Parts: sequence; structure tokens; C-alpha cells
Amino acid sequence: MKIKVTVNGQLYERDVLEHKTLLRFLREDLGLTGTKEGCGMGECGACTVFFNGKVMNSCMILAVEADGATIDTIEGESRGPSLTDIQKAMEKNNSVQCGFCTPGMVMSIKELLQNKAKPSIPEIKEAIEGNFCRCTGYVQIIEAVLDVTGRSKEKGELKHV
Amino acid sequence: MVYEFRYLAPKSKAKLCAMLLEHAQDGKLLAGGTDLLPNIRNGVFRLKYVIDLKQLPGAASLKYSQQDGLILGPAVTINDVLRNRTARRLYPVLCDCAHELASHQIRNRATVAGNVANASPCSDMAPALLCLGATAVIRSATGQRTIPFTQFFAGVKKTVMLPGEFLEHIIIPPAASPAAGRYLKLKRIAGHDLGIVGVLGTLQDGKRRFAVSSAAPTPVLVENVAAGDDESTVVKKVLAAVSPISDVRSSKEYREHMIGVFVQRLLQEVQ
Ligand SMILES: Cc1cc2nc3c(=O)[nH]c(=O)nc-3n(C[C@H](O)[C@H](O)[C@H](O)COP(=O)(O)OP(=O)(O)OC[C@H]3O[C@@H](n4cnc5c(N)ncnc54)[C@H](O)[C@@H]3O)c2cc1C
Ligand code: FES
Ligand code: FES
Repeated sequence: MKIKVTVNGQLYERDVLEHKTLLRFLREDLGLTGTKEGCGMGECGACTVFFNGKVMNSCMILAVEADGATIDTIEGESRGPSLTDIQKAMEKNNSVQCGFCTPGMVMSIKELLQNKAKPSIPEIKEAIEGNFCRCTGYVQIIEAVLDVTGRSKEKGELKHV
Repeated sequence: MVYEFRYLAPKSKAKLCAMLLEHAQDGKLLAGGTDLLPNIRNGVFRLKYVIDLKQLPGAASLKYSQQDGLILGPAVTINDVLRNRTARRLYPVLCDCAHELASHQIRNRATVAGNVANASPCSDMAPALLCLGATAVIRSATGQRTIPFTQFFAGVKKTVMLPGEFLEHIIIPPAASPAAGRYLKLKRIAGHDLGIVGVLGTLQDGKRRFAVSSAAPTPVLVENVAAGDDESTVVKKVLAAVSPISDVRSSKEYREHMIGVFVQRLLQEVQ
């Protein structure tokens, strides 16, 4: 089936297999391999992308369902060597170890910060509850969000490393 | 996905019903897909057709009127409900259950209708719909029928919907005063997880109701609690209505114990 989909601001017209997931379409058909497949069934969040402005698990969406949709992935975050503020904060706070969860994690954090300028720790935890990280223990990721929103300085809440 | 299937996206209800009848054996409806697609991947469903309902006119409509109450189309997501001010103000119990369902990303995609149509014993939306007296509007090629959710679930992953029928709307009746209440859900991990057991306790116009998930073949409503019942009588009545089993997530005894604990807590909290 033919679909038209805007990914990171660019319009693509492609013929896709009807049983292909959006995740595999992004990775295999468009070569955008930043988005990862962990579990393939909604558990881990490694496949998280923006679908019409909201984060969703691209492993549980068919590519054909994205016909006419706007998708944003981790590749849309940095242009060349320049990183976004969230990415810089994650780098600074050691929030990335193996990095497998990071693309999805960044998407979830981005949606959170679009809705809430200064989220609390429980709000941060809730926003990333669907993103598993097997390396960091999450503390550094939460710190990065506090860092980028200026909350850690204000409250002196978390000090790590 | 692991095998090939065809994707159909009808733009009218008549077409959708015709497709559902034609593909009763080899097709299934797709709403948010958060149950359907993992089941296809796991090989639980072997399908030739996936029939998307999201292109139906008004599928994502969420309306409230004082006369009819809250009316949810079949593509209304869990987070659509949580983001809606009217739903938060007038149906806090519905939002409490919605908030316990899965993870944020899934709540952005998963629908309320898909959650109950799937008829899992651990459905988190069912307790709210049961306690709030909601009804299901079921559509087929020949017409519509409306049934209360107390008669909607027929067994594990089974509803009373017949081949060719689908859940067109969910109607939650208006209430003079919003039901107070809370949903306590026991799970292994704090973030997202299917429940080990869940108990919703509500209080509306002096009447207490309890609904229990993950403790019987279907979600269960307990309505026979009287105003004068003491704590242990209420616990007994709730336990008499359920029939928990032992499975991978918990033993029967643990489930029973925790239902008792939750009912006691709710009796104290929800006044
Ligand atoms: C990681 C993970 C965690 C989860 N956690 C929870 C949880 O905590 N609590 C919980 O309750 N659920 C949970 N779920 C299950 C699922 O997300 C929910 O049940 C969700 O609400 C299903 O809605 P959907 O729109 O995605 O349904 P779909 O997958 O699209 O459909 C579900 C089933 O219902 C049928 N169907 C859908 N819409 C209709 C309709 N209008 N009429 C008739 N039939 C229809 C479909 O054919 C399918 O068989 C979880 C799932 C995953 C993957
Ligand atoms: S790959 Fe999609 S949630 Fe794990
Ligand atoms: S950094 Fe390895 S999984 Fe998160």
C-alpha cells in the first residue's frame, strides 16, 4: 500500500507491506536506525517516537496506519554535531551508558517538557515509566531532566556523583 | 509482524460491519493495536485481515452533555480521557483507573473501547465502567443494541458481541454528584504492569460499590453492600463475588488476601 508520511519534517512517499510495523519501516525502509527494537511488544519503550505530536511505541503501530501522519524520531533532534538541551544534559549527567534506551528516553522526556516546564520527580518517573533502562538505574536520567529544567539547582534535590 | 496480512480501513460503519461479517473467522478489528499487535506477533492470533476502525467518522469523539453523560467513540484513547477537563471533574474514578493502565506511551495509543472489547480479566477500565453504570452501544449491519457493562463480559477474553458486531460507543451516565472513589492496583513494578489484583471502591449518593479486576474470569461488580455493613461483612461479600486463581503472577491466596486489604483501605479512605 502507498503511504505518505512526514518524518522529521521531510515528506516520504513509499510503498509498504501492510503487515510491516512503523518501527521496521523507519529502520529498514527509511534507514533511520536511531529508533531501536527491544522487545517488539510494548514493554520496553526503545521504539518510542512522536506520532502526530504524542509519544507512542512504534513497534505496536503498522506503517500503513502512519499514512498522512507526522512522525518525529531521535534523528530529528540533532543536526550534525549539535545536540539539543536534553541530549546535552544527558551527556553531562552520565545518563547514557550502552545507549540502547536513549533514543526512546529522549522522546518521552521531550513530550514531558513540552507539557510541563518544571516537572517534579514523580512526574519525571511517570513520563519514563514505559522506557526501560538496564544500565543507569534511572537516577542519572532523572538528574538530567532536573538539570535541563533548572530544578536541581533551585531545590538542591538530587546530588549524584 | 511475523506473518503477512491485509490492512483494511473502512470509512463507513456499514462497510466496517460488512467486513467484520465477511472476515469473522480470519479478521479482527484494530483500534490502538496495543493488545492486537503483540498477540499477532506472539502467534496467538493467525489473521488474514486487520480492520482498522480509526477512519470511521467521529471515531475519536468524546462528548459530554448533562442529559446523556459522557459518550466515548471507539478510537478515544486512555490519555484523551485523562486530558479532558470534564472527564476529570465529573468522572474522577474513571480517570483514576485510566491512570493505572500501562505506561504513558501506551495510554497515548490504547483505547478505552479496545480495553473492554478485549475482555481481559485484568482490564483496568472495566472496574470504572461497572461502578459508574456505563452502557455499551453495539453496532451491527442490521442495527444497534445497548447493554449495560454488567452484561457485557462473557468470560476470559470473551464478550457478548456477536460476529459482525462492534463496540460503537461507551456511555457513562450523568450523575448529580460525581462518584468519589479510588482504584487500588497491585502490581510487580511501580510503573507499568498488568495487575495482580485491582479493587475500585466508589461512593455515590450514599451507595457503596466495589469492582474487582484480575480476580475472576471477568471483571466483577459487587453491588450488594449495605450502608450498615461492617468491615468484615463487606470483605466477605466482595470475596464471595470473585473466584481468583493461581497463575504466573500470583497465588489465589495472595490475591484473596490483598482484595481484603484493599477493601478495608477503601472503606476507610472513601467516605
Ligand atoms: C506493555 C503493555 C502493558 C499493558 N498494561 C495494561 C494495564 O496495565 N492495564 C490494562 O487494562 N491493559 C494493559 N495492556 C493492554 C492494552 O494496552 C489495553 O487493553 C488497551 O486499552 C487496548 O486498547 P487498544 O485500543 O490498543 O486495543 P486493540 O489492541 O486495538 O484491540 C484489542 C481487542 O479488542 C478488539 N476491539 C478493539 N476495539 C473494538 C471495538 N470498538 N469493538 C469491538 N472489538 C474491538 C480488537 O479486535 C482486539 O481483539 C497493556 C499492554 C501492553 C502491551
Ligand atoms: S520495542 Fe517497542 S516497546 Fe519494546
Ligand atoms: S543506557 Fe543502557 S539501557 Fe539505558
